[in-house]
Amino acid sequence: MEIRIRNLTKSYFAEGKRIQALVDVNLTIPPNQIFTLLGPSGCGKTTLLRSVVGLETPDSGEIAIGEEIVFSKEKGIFVPAEKRGLGMVFQTYAIWPHMTVFDNVAYPLQVRRDPPSIIRQKVAETLRFVQLEGFENRPATQLSGGQQQRVALARALVAEPKVILFDEPLSNLDAKLREETRKELRSFLTKLGITAVYVTHDRIEALSLSDRMAVMKDGRVVEIGTPKEIYFDSDQKFVADFIGRANLISGRIVETNGRYTWADSPIGRIACRAKPELVPGTEVSVCIRPEFIEILTKEPNEGVNLFRGKVHSLIFVGDAYEGEIRVGEVSILTRVEAEAGIEEGGTVTLHFDPQRCLILSR
Amino acid sequence: MAKRDPFLTPGLILIVGFLTVCPVVMLILGSFSPQLESFGHFTAEKYIKAYGDPAFREVLFNTVIFVAGSAVVATILALFLAYLNTRTNIPFKFLFRVISIIPMMIPHILFAVSWALLLNPSNGLINLALRQLFQIEGSWFNIYTLPGMILVEGLLDLPIAYLVIAPAMGAFDVSMEESSRVCGASTLRTLLRITLPILRPAILAALILVIVRSLASFAVPSVIGMPGRIDVLATHIYRIVSTGFATDYGTASAIGMSALSAAVVLIYIYRYLTSAGERYVTVSSRGYRPTVIDLKGARYPLFALVGLFSFVLILLPVLVLFYTSLVPYSMVPGAKALRLMSWKHWIAVLSDPISLVSLKNSLFLGTLGASLGVLLSIFVSYVIVKVRTRASALLESLSFLSFSFPGIVIGIGFMWFFVRTPLYATIWALLIGYIATYLPYGIRPLSSAFIQIHSHLEESSRVCGARTLYTLRRIVLPLLVPGIVSAWILMATMFLRELSVSVVLSRPGTEVLAVQILRFAEDGLWGRLSALGIVMILISTTLVVCAYLVGARLTRTTAVAGG
Repeated sequence: MEIRIRNLTKSYFAEGKRIQALVDVNLTIPPNQIFTLLGPSGCGKTTLLRSVVGLETPDSGEIAIGEEIVFSKEKGIFVPAEKRGLGMVFQTYAIWPHMTVFDNVAYPLQVRRDPPSIIRQKVAETLRFVQLEGFENRPATQLSGGQQQRVALARALVAEPKVILFDEPLSNLDAKLREETRKELRSFLTKLGITAVYVTHDRIEALSLSDRMAVMKDGRVVEIGTPKEIYFDSDQKFVADFIGRANLISGRIVETNGRYTWADSPIGRIACRAKPELVPGTEVSVCIRPEFIEILTKEPNEGVNLFRGKVHSLIFVGDAYEGEIRVGEVSILTRVEAEAGIEEGGTVTLHFDPQRCLILSR
Repeated sequence: MAKRDPFLTPGLILIVGFLTVCPVVMLILGSFSPQLESFGHFTAEKYIKAYGDPAFREVLFNTVIFVAGSAVVATILALFLAYLNTRTNIPFKFLFRVISIIPMMIPHILFAVSWALLLNPSNGLINLALRQLFQIEGSWFNIYTLPGMILVEGLLDLPIAYLVIAPAMGAFDVSMEESSRVCGASTLRTLLRITLPILRPAILAALILVIVRSLASFAVPSVIGMPGRIDVLATHIYRIVSTGFATDYGTASAIGMSALSAAVVLIYIYRYLTSAGERYVTVSSRGYRPTVIDLKGARYPLFALVGLFSFVLILLPVLVLFYTSLVPYSMVPGAKALRLMSWKHWIAVLSDPISLVSLKNSLFLGTLGASLGVLLSIFVSYVIVKVRTRASALLESLSFLSFSFPGIVIGIGFMWFFVRTPLYATIWALLIGYIATYLPYGIRPLSSAFIQIHSHLEESSRVCGARTLYTLRRIVLPLLVPGIVSAWILMATMFLRELSVSVVLSRPGTEVLAVQILRFAEDGLWGRLSALGIVMILISTTLVVCAYLVGARLTRTTAVAGG
């Protein structure tokens, strides 16, 4: 089911200051896909999620889930959380400690007074789905973090909601478990094929889980796209920096001639992916990710984007080195293969693939 | 609980404000008034009388020694026990929980009486036994002295000091000690240089709390101090209002003012220390286990010492009282005592109309009073923890104020008020006075219960489709039950044994158990006193057990109830 958010704003007072949590947010979340809201803490992503689920009342705007308008300031509509028919997994899981696993999962069905036989059957099915068969009578407090997470998921799924929402559900798990659970969650949700909205501040989680994602900053949605579009083609400095490791080099547009747009920078003239709409003289940032920088030990004869630099430091990180190369005054972060035969203090030539040099607005 | 009732917070501020501010204001007004029945024109004459009295200097001196001594005794014992429990491999650790909780069920006045029965100079059981054993005259021990008072009060306040210190010691980050050990310091040096200084806020908090408690204490000063003519502020005030021909509430109020203001100042220092303490006593990350110090050969001797403490704190008073209730007069246990034992005192007490009235009144106050008090505490805690506005902060400060109230002083404050209302000399006057004085004991367990109910637990119920009332019934209430039960137990046992507010507000017809026991003590009717005391302990134990059972049942039924 599609979720449409129009001109949503929300602000609140905390410690005497007015905080703008959402600023005129417009967003369409496509049906039956996993959609992620990514952003640093305090960017408003959780407020947006809680507004969709009905736990926050926005100041203005409109939210529609499928055909139903659940919130509209203008039309005076506010459907409370308990009538929206959604499922949600909380950051703390919110597993009720005084109930067994069965009672936790059965709760949404008990609330709408399903007959006990149907409740038993549905709970059993859902627990099988999340691989918690046989845990029915376990007190909820005697579960591991990963199991609690799956109980929370089962509870959110059992009533077959129109939409399922996740508020940083993996942030309380340790690194290894987080990775496993992420894969599991991806396969559960792909199997179900329902609309899922997922909030996280972890870029790897967002990139690996989502079909589409939105990046948020200071209460605004700054970019929407598929994970690959966001990672490779973002044209905003904030997004490029937040989504992965990036070298951001300030520069000024010189000209666009056919294949490349050229920019002058402190390390020299850089050939970038063409952006003919940019006027010469515009101040920009050139973004190149470490994995797209080639390191040449032999001086090539000719070519574009060749920069000579000195190896300032090499840090072993397991599968490769993280190399810091100084070109003039500018440090460039690179990925150096373990057997590249490069040493600290040596001189190398860097090659930037022009198609991977993105020009970002400042 | 999603909607905020616009009348809830102001209404509660009004109620709690009345309970806490009214007695204070009335006390202040009263201290400047000529007599109880009228405020009349304002006069400072009572202050001149109260503080000009040459006896007052001695009272003040006694009070300082008594209060400071009790605080030191209680805190040192608490430190010792808390250290043994949290940091060493001493066996049978459940005993420490027993020590910290059970003594609250033994009324302070009975504890004090049992010590008087053991160690009074004329016929204390231990003195009698020593006389028989060594064929000597005179007495070795005299409890009716300042050191005697300090010892008994210190033991009484030990559980409170323990409850402040033990959690701080348990939450203490052991790596700070370990790094001291790595630097080459011995265990003792580490204890003195690292552990104790880091625990300083908790230790100071315990000291202050015990000072406030012993300043307010009336049981020990009245049972042990008054026979030895050692008056402290509480008993000095008591003498002014209840002995002699002309009771003088104005002078009593003037003296009460200094006790009250000292207590208020101290309790706010306590609050500052405990909130600051949470900031710098490092609570370490989850899953850590404190290193345990191996006591080796000292394990069982130290355990024997702890066992002795539990015996002295819990069993001894009950045994002494029970024994005394059966023998005709004070005598050393033996064949003769066994022969003379009878239920005479029990029959006398159970057919004494005043004792029966006091029993009925105390039961009424203990059950209904505690229930009303808990009800009020539920709403107040909810507003303090969950609503969190500027008004709720005011409510918190107001309710915290009564934590400092010395019962007898607040009783006098209320006296000025009740005399002007039809409530005077009714049981409702006592009920209001009790709730005002003991409100924090209800609020504290309930606030921590509310804190544990993370807002996500309610919200996820709403997302599941449950309406507010359904959420309240199936999620909030069951999670609140343990808090309600402990608040009720605390309040009920406090009310059942209440003495210091009651000695002022209780009138013929509204006698309560502790006051009746005090009367028996003043008249030297130890046998009857002991019989009534045992009844009192039985009742409060029964109430506690019932509350536990009801609580367990409530949790079960509400948790599994299907839709």
